[in-house]
Amino acid sequence: MTAGENVTVRERRRSPRSEPAGLGRRLGSLDVVICCGSGGVGKTTVSAALGMAIAAAEDKRVLVLTVDPARRLATALGIKGIGAEPVRIPKARLRRAGITIAGDLEAAMLDMKQAWDRMIERYSPDRATAQRILRNPLYQRITDSFVGSHEYAAIEALYELHDAGEYDCIVVDTPPSRNALDFLEAPSRLTDYVGSRLLSLLSGGPSRFGFRAMNFAAAPFLRLADRLLGAEVLAEVSDFVRQLQLLYDGIQGRARSVYRLLRSPQTGFVVVTTLEQGPFTEAEFFCTKLREFKMPLRAMVVNRVLPEVFRDPGGVAAATTLVEDSKVAKWLSDELHVRVAAETARFVGSIFLTRNTLANRETRQLAKLGRIGDVPVVRIPLFSEEVSELEGLVRIAKAL
Amino acid sequence: MSSPADTPQRSWRPSTAVRSAVAGERIDLATLLRRRVIFVVGKGGTGRSTMTAALALLAARAGKRVLAIDVDAKGDLAAALGSPPAGFAPRVVQHNLSVLELRTDESFQEYLNIYFKVPRVTRLTPLARVFDFIATGVPGPRDMLVVGKIAYEERRKEAGSGSPVWDLILVDCAAGGQAESHLAAPKAMLTLVRGGLIRAQVEWIDALIRDPRRTTTVLCALPEEMPVVEAIELHERLRRGSGVAVDLCLLNRAADEPVTASHRRLMSAMTESEHADAVSERLGGSPRPLEAGVDLQAHLYDTTARYLRQLRTKLSMPVVPVPFIVDRTGLTTTRAVADALNGRLS
Repeated sequence: MTAGENVTVRERRRSPRSEPAGLGRRLGSLDVVICCGSGGVGKTTVSAALGMAIAAAEDKRVLVLTVDPARRLATALGIKGIGAEPVRIPKARLRRAGITIAGDLEAAMLDMKQAWDRMIERYSPDRATAQRILRNPLYQRITDSFVGSHEYAAIEALYELHDAGEYDCIVVDTPPSRNALDFLEAPSRLTDYVGSRLLSLLSGGPSRFGFRAMNFAAAPFLRLADRLLGAEVLAEVSDFVRQLQLLYDGIQGRARSVYRLLRSPQTGFVVVTTLEQGPFTEAEFFCTKLREFKMPLRAMVVNRVLPEVFRDPGGVAAATTLVEDSKVAKWLSDELHVRVAAETARFVGSIFLTRNTLANRETRQLAKLGRIGDVPVVRIPLFSEEVSELEGLVRIAKAL
Repeated sequence: MSSPADTPQRSWRPSTAVRSAVAGERIDLATLLRRRVIFVVGKGGTGRSTMTAALALLAARAGKRVLAIDVDAKGDLAAALGSPPAGFAPRVVQHNLSVLELRTDESFQEYLNIYFKVPRVTRLTPLARVFDFIATGVPGPRDMLVVGKIAYEERRKEAGSGSPVWDLILVDCAAGGQAESHLAAPKAMLTLVRGGLIRAQVEWIDALIRDPRRTTTVLCALPEEMPVVEAIELHERLRRGSGVAVDLCLLNRAADEPVTASHRRLMSAMTESEHADAVSERLGGSPRPLEAGVDLQAHLYDTTARYLRQLRTKLSMPVVPVPFIVDRTGLTTTRAVADALNGRLS
């Protein structure tokens, strides 16, 4: 065994990272930083830590826009709660936790309903149209169920904030979607949706006998749909659709501007993942897609990596002996003058071997990272304390 | 095979007394598996597919004819049962156990076929697209396809004997929010669809979902902040929204073996400088790195215990920890989880 005297999880944390250039400085020059990844990888925490790292590296006004109502994140940031209005994180509080920030750090949470309402108001040709849409019972349901609606609201909010120009850098934590790609596709999907030919077809509107102004081929199908769903539903849908079409030009124009912003050299994507199979595969896929969409991937953050110590060969040998050698407990009792039950020895060995299995699996995953191309990869070790307090966030910020 | 549309319509509304009695029951495995339909729900990454597969294995072992349905259709459930991706038709993957994967297009065609005797023809596509559009806007229909298919399988009878084809249907639901809208779909549809042929179907499906003796939900969580918060919130919304019973919470990847004083004592004795060399020689390597394992285990145990407490305070149901199984292949892991569940739920 070659590791030195004090190799513990705690010590390892302070060892140099594989990526020496600070991510805070690297990303600090950007206007917009978008954190993507599948749910449960610690995206919100990483976003907050990233905002912190940027504010520490550069004298800038940084906003972290979160979508996650994690109350403990607010607590961790030393504020009461995160609402739609940006809240400043007290510098003194950050300094006490061990990080000095040069700039300003603020946090806000995305208000989904508000973002959608404002969007309808903005794109409606007149107030009356906006009111009709907002009052339609289908409206709220659509904004909830439409694939990518949360993503779209997030992008809209980001675009507005960026446009207002109050912040030097906005770090966005994207919604926890099943598919991270939803975020990229949301603007075009909404355009397609509102502009689809089916919508034109439907907006002809049903009469008492079903659909009226219908082309010959479609008529029987719509009659069947009518029969299945009941005429009232179709009437409501049809009315809603007619209103929605009035917004088409506005939404299409905005989608183009949004894509311009997402592709801008002043924007950077950061993909966050753990080394678990599911999130990892999705992260790889997402990186490929970013390239396809010509959107700039700036860094990959691998969260909760098991410390190196769990791959230590001496440790593995010792743990294996403790688990497999039936005479070892007796030997230890004699040697150490402590009563050692066989079960005690086995347990100490087996918990190490479990982590060793996982650590080896992680190593194989890490080796695959080469495939994503030439971007900095930052590993954040799995800390033996949960990141709930500001100190924990600071530790991640420093790791970044 | 009798069409569900022909069966008498009686909307079953359990009384409050029945509901609370069922909710307060300390559910054991046998009771749980006596239900007709079990929805397994939870945030992504909480091990829904593995839990569904493990419960399916246990039910099949108990001699039940089991259908496991994958709503996400990513093939995870089939993989957890050691099988390549299944299709829309149930496929036998183990003795007494079949898997089915739901996809909207196929669901729609079959739905029309079953309920309205519309033949499966390619010409349906334009209608399917219109329907798809409406389904995006109106929450009911798309979700109803999922729930409708499940309810249909629940009613399927053997041609000869007339006994049900399945004793138990286990549903690996899509991630959190989607499961919620699937389950709430019948209720939402009832407020939206006042006429049309669909209403009759919706009523009996709604009755099935709300009947705590036939249908229940198993909630999956992980010992981490967001999955726990979301499980608690999902439970609340499920009960209020769809009225479905939630009888059990499984806390996956639980580290429920504590680090005790004797483990610590052994650890410090082994690493004391006077014994270090002898111990290293006897064990074939220095035991020092093992300290990291003990520290991490202690931390994970504390975390698990904290979230178990939180879940038990907030949820009026048994919360059962399921140990972290590190095996690599699907079926091996599932079998290990099934054994753990069997031990903890009996």
